[in-house]
Amino acid sequence: MAFEPNEEQKVLKYDELRIYTDEELNNYTDEELKEFKCKHDIPDMDELEKGPWPSFVADCKREALHRRNLADDRMMIDRDVVEDMLGQLQVSFDEGETHWKHGGIVGVFGYGGGVIGRYSDLQERFPSIAHFHTMRINQPASKFYSSDYLRCVCDLWEYRGSGMMNLHGSTGDIICIGTFTEQLEPIFYELGHVLQQDLGGSGSNLRTPACCIGKARCEWSCIDTQAMCYELTHYYQDELHRPAFPYKFKFKFDGCPNGCVASIARSDMSFIGTWKDDIRIDQEAVQAYIGGEFAPNAGAHAGKDWGKFDIEKEVINLCPTKCMWMEDGKLMIDNRECTRCMHCINTMPRALKPGVETGVSILFGAKAPILDGAQMSLLTIPFMECEPPYENIKEVVEKIWEWWPEEGKNRERLGELIQRQGVAKLLKVLGIPPMPQMVKEPRSNPYIFWKEEDVPGGWGRDINDYRSRHAI
Amino acid sequence: MEDIKEAILAFAEKSKKSKFYFNDIQKAVQKVIPDAKAKPIKKAATALINEEKLIYFSTGSSTMYGLKGRGQTEDH
Ligand code: HEM
Ligand code: HEM
Ligand code: SF4
Ligand code: SF4
Repeated sequence: MAFEPNEEQKVLKYDELRIYTDEELNNYTDEELKEFKCKHDIPDMDELEKGPWPSFVADCKREALHRRNLADDRMMIDRDVVEDMLGQLQVSFDEGETHWKHGGIVGVFGYGGGVIGRYSDLQERFPSIAHFHTMRINQPASKFYSSDYLRCVCDLWEYRGSGMMNLHGSTGDIICIGTFTEQLEPIFYELGHVLQQDLGGSGSNLRTPACCIGKARCEWSCIDTQAMCYELTHYYQDELHRPAFPYKFKFKFDGCPNGCVASIARSDMSFIGTWKDDIRIDQEAVQAYIGGEFAPNAGAHAGKDWGKFDIEKEVINLCPTKCMWMEDGKLMIDNRECTRCMHCINTMPRALKPGVETGVSILFGAKAPILDGAQMSLLTIPFMECEPPYENIKEVVEKIWEWWPEEGKNRERLGELIQRQGVAKLLKVLGIPPMPQMVKEPRSNPYIFWKEEDVPGGWGRDINDYRSRHAI
Repeated sequence: MEDIKEAILAFAEKSKKSKFYFNDIQKAVQKVIPDAKAKPIKKAATALINEEKLIYFSTGSSTMYGLKGRGQTEDH
């Protein structure tokens, strides 16, 4: 189905919206950069620049020099903001302590997220970073931008912020780092009204949903991750901006089990595209892999000589459920045993493709280590149809959002609530039956608890009568 | 809606703390209005934010609500 935006989208033209001239954008030479000295002494920062990896310090120095060479009235906050940030970081390295103060009541009007208040506690030494708020911009689905769009955002942030940005934060947003409280509303206005761009989530909110590149470019995508991410982002706007959850909540959408946005590890509710029919096999192409005409993994490992492709060794024996074999020169798959791990498909993409009856698996409860160690999402709904407007999926979301906010403790993630109350409770909330695969190991996470009505005689049954037939 | 708003403000005014989690607001409202559901309570809290009677307080990872003018009134 062709994509229909929820509101008319303007085409942004940098030439019409730009703030800076080309001369202002390219306002220093390589020689000047080599000579550049930060106004603070920053030996440990300089050290970070050495070595083979790209360094944020190198980027910061470019930006600092760039700001030195801009005219005073071309920046709404202090030109020294980058240099002061480096200076304060050096102090933190020296003392082993942070000098950022956490939190506050900054925000844009009516939004409970999207702006993260930060202040320096060394404001006299580093006045230009007295306020150093972060703004999160909700990235477009799969992070597709036009360069015009990016240039507009960069100009805006140079003009009203520090010019320092991070593409992208772990949640997916474009992160704009460091501005003063007075700049928040003007930036928000410009983003909303001119660039048609919303802020992302922060705080006890639905966080900015994120998706893999999906059907836009990837032949493996079993679901239209972008359409789904866009729809749920719009549909749950209120949850994104008006915090009423016990803690953060994340959606991520992977088009197939390869998991390019790692939804299984990084979201409270992970959506992973899958199929329920058979892997499509092109036997001629299988032969072409065996015969060496096609490079395995689309040539991804061609940098080294791994010898002739061996389908037994590289595909069949590596199938985690051992459900593949060769028979009369044909590749066979017992699809009932296949766990959709993607290995064989990744290795021989021209011969094997996901099935055509596609949908989504839904998993719950991943989180980074906060209270009880890192945790992956639990596969709870193996297969669901997944078509716009995703009513069936919204129903599942809302069941979770009735349970977790009600029973979750403050700062308790969904995964922790599932641990605390048990998988059986999660299944009851969702109204779905348990699966044997949900048992990780007997005794540690039993998923079946007897209810009194299921036990013959109930809790009050006569144990002596039972023992008369079962001695110990 | 109006009764929920009143309950929220009454709770915020007599609370010893200057900031509270949404959960605490919800529990306080449900003490006065037992059949109030989470959604209308959230709507009422949002309305109070828009009327500038309540403020959000966020650390970045979690968010709390406060009465405007109480506790931290400066923006830092
Ligand atoms: C259809 C037949 C069976 C089913 C569906 C079944 C199912 C289960 C399940 C679900 C558990 C895990 C319980 C927990 O979470 O604590 C379990 C544990 C166990 N089962 Fe079975 N079982 C079956 C037959 C048998 C038989 C025939 C035996 C022995 C002769 C047996 C011996 C055990 C033992 C010893 C454990 C405990 C393992 C441990 O604690 O490490 N089961 N069984
Ligand atoms: C010299 C012989 C044996 C020794 C030293 C031995 C030792 C053990 C030990 C140390 C455990 C772990 C207990 C725990 O972690 O709570 C265990 C569990 C168990 N053993 Fe044995 N065992 C022996 C023979 C057998 C035999 C002959 C059977 C079956 C006919 C058996 C069935 C089991 C079962 C089912 C469990 C699991 C109990 C449960 O999950 O609660 N064992 N055994
Ligand atoms: S998760 Fe799957 S569908 Fe999405 S980009 Fe990665 S390989 Fe393609
Ligand atoms: S997808 Fe994985 S489990 Fe399924 S047949 Fe291929 S290798 Fe085996």
